[in-house]
Amino acid sequence: MSSQRPPQIVAFGGGGFSMEAGNPLLDDYVLSLTGVERPRVCFLPTASGDADHYITRFYRAFSGRALATHVSLFREERGEDRPFAERLLEQDLIYVGGGSVSSLLGTWRAHGVDEVLAEAWERGIVLCGLSAGSLCWFADIVSKFNGPPRRVAGLGLLPYSNAVHYDSDPQRRTSYHRLMTEGMLDGYAAADGAALHFVGRDLERVVSSRPEARAYRVAWQRGRVVETELETRYLGATQPSSTALAA
Amino acid sequence: MGGGGFTMEPDNPALDHFLLTLLEPREPRLLFLPTASGDPREQLHRFHACYDGTGCTTTVLSLFRLNEHAVDLEELVLSQDLVYVGGGSIRNMLAIWREHGLDRLLREAYAQGTLLAGLSAGAMCWFTGGITKSGGAPAPVRGLGLLPDSLSVHRDGEPDRLPVYREAVRSGELPPGWAADDGVGLLFEDETLVRAVSSRHGVGAARVEADGTETELEVTELPREPDPHLRPVPHDIAEFRALRRARG
Repeated sequence: MSSQRPPQIVAFGGGGFSMEAGNPLLDDYVLSLTGVERPRVCFLPTASGDADHYITRFYRAFSGRALATHVSLFREERGEDRPFAERLLEQDLIYVGGGSVSSLLGTWRAHGVDEVLAEAWERGIVLCGLSAGSLCWFADIVSKFNGPPRRVAGLGLLPYSNAVHYDSDPQRRTSYHRLMTEGMLDGYAAADGAALHFVGRDLERVVSSRPEARAYRVAWQRGRVVETELETRYLGATQPSSTALAA
Repeated sequence: MGGGGFTMEPDNPALDHFLLTLLEPREPRLLFLPTASGDPREQLHRFHACYDGTGCTTTVLSLFRLNEHAVDLEELVLSQDLVYVGGGSIRNMLAIWREHGLDRLLREAYAQGTLLAGLSAGAMCWFTGGITKSGGAPAPVRGLGLLPDSLSVHRDGEPDRLPVYREAVRSGELPPGWAADDGVGLLFEDETLVRAVSSRHGVGAARVEADGTETELEVTELPREPDPHLRPVPHDIAEFRALRRARG
């Protein structure tokens, strides 16, 4: 049962079913953290405005190996009249999709979803997500939705800053470093395919779905920004099979 | 609009075309905000199907999907002749607008004379308050308050809103205001109702007072068949657009 698990958050810099079709490594990893053979997984597609195509892709990726469901805050769901709080708190894993983090946070706060997720976290329901679904868990985040990158206050379950899609877009690094000189909290950046796994508020490990994906600790030290690459465990086959095939 | 327009009655553009008759510029600029329903693609297509080819410059602002190029929200919102807001969850919409600072920009747009329109959540948002079903059961909700009255929508289509609305007005939780059927548009100028129009026969709207008085409004039915020559794209503009398309 969920009460046996510590609070856990897995924040993907990018990746999982919505970005890496055919590469289930990060999704497999978060499922494994539940310790349940057929976990109850709930998708929160709020940041995309509950886009139908996104919800469909979630079910395609998860219904084979989990009891998959989703909570929509924009549309009434037929046959589902229980309050969302009740439905969220019975999960083993809550998976937050990408999109606009500002729109996500505004909608959650309007409905009180933020409080329910904090409770879910304390109860040991594994929380994860990519992009906006990563940023939301942190206190101080870099949002570059629609304009120059700016600081936005997230839910703050993790008292750090966070940046996503870090290596795919060089501008992300520049702006994260700049915001740090302006007082942004120390924190973590993750590239597409890299995921930060926190147990409680501590970083437990970094895992990746691609051998080259990296994550970084980014901190303000003695008047400058110091970025440290974190040790990352690639979740796929350990030996490079592509070399063997090429030979 | 109590309901209606291209998202609810795509085969009946009467209300949508009525809005165009209120605009003066030769090539008016139209902005559609589908925030309340999460920016579904279908609404976007219907917006373009309705207004492209009417001589208007049409833009859709998504607050969910990353735009390829950053959009200057202030410049975008304040340069429109008409801002058209779609239906959905008013609670979500207002929360999201606040996060992006759109509430402030829409106030400014109104102050400078931009025509503001919408249906359902996109209609109630302009008033001090209305009745939402965002949380399931109908309940009073605050709007932006550009208009001092309140508005309840879908009077005919979702009749469970009306008793909650009457009670909210009676108790003073909402100021007096208007209850409108689907297909009815109420036009306000300087915060005063100047016309009530409808896209179909047999629909109406009423003024609802705190003492329980309800007065049906006189509603003008708009022509069912839109004028096919309504605001055709002027020749020179059509030519310019063709040229731009050819250049890629």
